[in-house]
Amino acid sequence: MNPSYLKVFLTFARNSLVRDMSFRFNFILTCFASVSWALMNFLLFKIIYQHTDSIGVDTGWHENEFFIFLGTIWIINSLIQTFFMANAEGFSEMIRTGSLDFALLKPIDTQFLISFPRINWAQIPNGLLGLSLVIYSLRALMNDSEKVISIGPVEWILYVFYIGCGVVVMYSVMIILASTSIWLGRNQNLHTFWFYITNFYRYPMEIYQKSGIGMALWGTFTFVIPILVVSNVPARILAQPLERGWYDWQSLYAIFAAAASLVVSRWVFKFALSSYRSASS
Amino acid sequence: MSQAIPVAEQSLSLMQRARIWWTFFQVAINERLVYRGDFMIGTLMRFLPTLTQIFLWWAIYDVVAQSGSDSIASYRYGDMVAYYLMVTIARAFSSMPGLTSGIANQVRNGEVKKFLIQPIDMQGCLLVQRIAHKLVYYLIATLPFALVFFLCRDFFIDGWPSTEVTIVFFASLILTFLLGFFMESAIGLISFWFLEVTSLTFIYMLMNFLLSGHMFPLELLPESPINVRGFVEFLPFKYLAYFPAAVFLGKVEGPEMYRGLAIEASWVLFFIIISRIMWIRGVKRYSGYGG
Amino acid sequence: MPVIEIKNLSKSYRVYQKREGVMASIKGLFHREYKEVHAVNDISLEVEEGEFVAFLGPNGAGKTTTLKLLSGVINPTSGTCSVLGHVPWERKNEYRRRFALVMGQKNQLWWDLPAAESFRLNQHIYGISAEEFNRTRDELTDMLDVTRLLSQPVRELSLGERMKMELIAALLHKPDVLFLDEPTIGLDVIAQHKIQQFLKHYQETQNNTILLTSHYMKDISALCKRVVIIAGGEIYHDGSLEEIVDRFSSHKIVTLQMANDRSLEGLQNLPNVISVEAPKIKFRVDREDVGQTLGEILGLHDVDDIVVEDPPLEDVIASAFSDAAEQQKSQQETIEASSP
Repeated sequence: MNPSYLKVFLTFARNSLVRDMSFRFNFILTCFASVSWALMNFLLFKIIYQHTDSIGVDTGWHENEFFIFLGTIWIINSLIQTFFMANAEGFSEMIRTGSLDFALLKPIDTQFLISFPRINWAQIPNGLLGLSLVIYSLRALMNDSEKVISIGPVEWILYVFYIGCGVVVMYSVMIILASTSIWLGRNQNLHTFWFYITNFYRYPMEIYQKSGIGMALWGTFTFVIPILVVSNVPARILAQPLERGWYDWQSLYAIFAAAASLVVSRWVFKFALSSYRSASS
Repeated sequence: MSQAIPVAEQSLSLMQRARIWWTFFQVAINERLVYRGDFMIGTLMRFLPTLTQIFLWWAIYDVVAQSGSDSIASYRYGDMVAYYLMVTIARAFSSMPGLTSGIANQVRNGEVKKFLIQPIDMQGCLLVQRIAHKLVYYLIATLPFALVFFLCRDFFIDGWPSTEVTIVFFASLILTFLLGFFMESAIGLISFWFLEVTSLTFIYMLMNFLLSGHMFPLELLPESPINVRGFVEFLPFKYLAYFPAAVFLGKVEGPEMYRGLAIEASWVLFFIIISRIMWIRGVKRYSGYGG
Repeated sequence: MPVIEIKNLSKSYRVYQKREGVMASIKGLFHREYKEVHAVNDISLEVEEGEFVAFLGPNGAGKTTTLKLLSGVINPTSGTCSVLGHVPWERKNEYRRRFALVMGQKNQLWWDLPAAESFRLNQHIYGISAEEFNRTRDELTDMLDVTRLLSQPVRELSLGERMKMELIAALLHKPDVLFLDEPTIGLDVIAQHKIQQFLKHYQETQNNTILLTSHYMKDISALCKRVVIIAGGEIYHDGSLEEIVDRFSSHKIVTLQMANDRSLEGLQNLPNVISVEAPKIKFRVDREDVGQTLGEILGLHDVDDIVVEDPPLEDVIASAFSDAAEQQKSQQETIEASSP
C-alpha cells in the first residue's frame, strides 16, 4: 500500500511528454527560445573576448576555459528548467488558486508531489547544447600546446557528481522562493527573481574576490545562498584554469552546501505549509 | 459596427473623455498597489544584474590595463558601468511587460468587443493604464534608484552633462516610452490576423535584447568582416536602450544627437500610424467575421 | 466510537482591509489594517460510522472551512478534532489513505490529459495494486456511465462528466470517509440527479461515512438523514430533516378541492391565502390551528379533497437561515453593548 515514488515520477514524466506532444508548436517554440537565449549569451562573450583575452588578471579564465564554464551553466540551467522551474511556478500558482489542497490530501510526501509533476522536456536541447560547448572547448583546450590539462574518467565522474550537487542547491533555492508565495500572495515574478538571483552564478567567482563589496557578495553567495559553488566547482574540474584536480576546499564544501540547502528548503517548505490558508474557490 | 465608433467618440465632450481616462488611470494605479510585496522586492532586484556587470567589467578592464590601454571602444571602465546604469533607466521607460500578450488575449477571448461597443479607444485606454503603471513604478522606484546612483556616482567620470544634453536626454526617455508602447502594441495587434503571437513576441524580445544595446554598448559590435554595427544603426531597437544612455554619457553629441532624436521621433510616429492602421483594419476584419 | 469527533474547533483569519481610492492605496503600501474573521467558531460535532451528513448554510457560513479542517488542508486556530482516530492536520499518510475530498469548484485532474492518466497517477500515489485498481475503476466508470470518455482529454468533457471523473479519482482508493464540497454545483438537473443516485447507491453498498455541503435541497433531501445547519461559523441546528421542518416552519399548507366553484364563496377572504384556482384553493394555517380550521370549513362548505403538507424545504431552510442570522446579530449586539 505504500506509494511507489519511482512509479509516480515516471507517470509524471510520461504525462508531461504526452501533454507536450499534444502542443507541438509550443514545444518547438520553447526549444527554440531557450536555445536562442543561450546562443545570445554565447555571442556576448564572443564579443567580450574580442576585446580581452581573459576575464580577470591571472585567473586563467581564457576563452576556452570560460566556454567550458558557460557550457556547464547551460547544463545546470537546462536540468533546473526541465525538472523544477515549471513546478516551482506551478506550486506558486497552486497556492494562489487553492489547488494545493489536493496535493495536501495525498498520502505521499507533499514536497515530492509538488516538485515533479511537470517535466519540461523542451528544455533538454539547451543542456545538450551546453554539453557540446563543453566538449568542443575542452578539445580546443587539450589541443592547445601551452596548456597542461588532464581529463580522465575520474574527472568526468566528479563533474557529473558536482553538477548533481549544484542542481540540488538550485532546486532548494527555488523551492524556498516559491514557498514565499504563501505569505506574499501572488508571486508572478518568480521567474524574474530567479533570473536575478542566478545572475550571480553565471561568472567565475574570481571576479568578486577583489574589493570589500565583492568579497561580501562572494561570501553571501558562497555561504548564505551557496550558488557560486554550483557553477564554479564542476566547471573548475574540467576547465582547470589554474590548478589541477579537485582538491580545493570548495569541492568538499559543495557537498555540504547541497545537503544543507536541501534540509533548509525542506524546513521552509514545511513552515510555509503551516501558514497555508487555502484560497476558497 | 466599426463605423459606430468614431461617431460615438465625437459625441463625447473632452471633459467626458478626460473623466473616463481618469477613471482608468485610478483603477490602474490601485491595481498596481495591491501587490506591494512583489513590488518592493522587484524594484530592488532590478539592480542585481548591474552589480554583477560592475564586477565582470572590472575584471575585464584589469586585463585591458595590462596592455597599457584604459578603454574598450572609447568606453573607460567608469563609462561602461555608467552605461549599464543608464540603460536600466531607459529600459524602465521602454519595456512594456505583458502589453503584447495582453492585447493578444483580449482579441482571442473576445474581450476586445467592449472597445467596439463602448465609446472608448483601446489604445488610448491601454496607454493611460500603462502611464499609470509606470508612474507607480517610478514613485516606488525613485528611492532605490537614487540610492544606487548615489552609491555609483563615481562611475560617472565626466559628471552631470550640460543642461542641453539633459533636456535631450529626458526627451529621448519620453520618446522611448512611446516607441516601446506603440511598437509592442503593433505586435499585439497582429493577433487580429494570427491568433498565436507568442512566437512573434519572443522574436521581438530577442531582437530587443540583442540590438537595443541592453547587453552591451553597440560600439562593441564588429564592423568587419560584416558591418553589424552599421546595420543596427538603421533599426528602431537602439532607441529603446542605447540612445538615451549614449546621449547622457556624451557618446553622441551635437548635431548627431539632434539627428538621433529626430529619427527616434520619426520611429514613434511611424509606429503610431502603423498601429492605428492595424487597429482600424483589424476591427473591420473582426466585425466582418461577426466576432 | 464516532468516526469523526470535533471539539470546540475554531478557525479565524486576518483579512487585509482594502480602502477605496488612490491615496488610501498608497497609504496601504506602508501600513495595513486587518480584520479578524471567524470562519469557524467553536464547533463541536460527532459523526458515527456510515452516516451521511449534510452541512447546510448560507455562503461564507464556514462549511467549506470545516471540511478543509477535517481533511487537514488547513490548521485550526484552536480546538481538537479526530477523524478515524487521527488528527487531520498532522497529515499522516495512514490517515490520508483513508479519506477523500471532492470540491465542486476545483479540479484535481490533469486538464490536458485523459482522465485515465490522472487515475493511473492516483493508483501509484495510493499504492493500489493493478488488479484492484482496474476492478475499482471499471466498477466506478460503469456505475457513472463514463467508460467511453476515459481516453478523452479532461478539458473536452462537460462539467457533469468532469465531476463524475473527479468523483472516480477520489474513490479509487476506497476511502472510509468522504468529504463532498458542493459536488453538484453548476450541473444541470439530470446530471445532478445522476450524481445523487450514484452517491446514494455507493454509500449504501460501501457503508462509508460521508459529509456533504450543498446549496441544492434536492441533494440533501435525497441523500441525508441528518442535517447540520451552520451560520456565521457556528452550528445552529443539528438533527434530522423532519426536525428542521418542525422547528423552523410554524405552519402547514392546506389545499382544498371544492365540489364546485360556488363552494369557494367566503373562503377567498381567509387570511394567508396563497392561490385560488377555482375550484381549488391553497392557504397557510398555523400548525396548532390545522384541526380547528379544517373542522370549521368542512362544516360550512362542500369539499371533495383535502391535502395538508409541509411548506417546501427551500422556504423552511431560508427561514432557518434568517433566524440564525438574526440570532447572531442580537448576540453581537449584546457583546458590543456589554463591552465598554
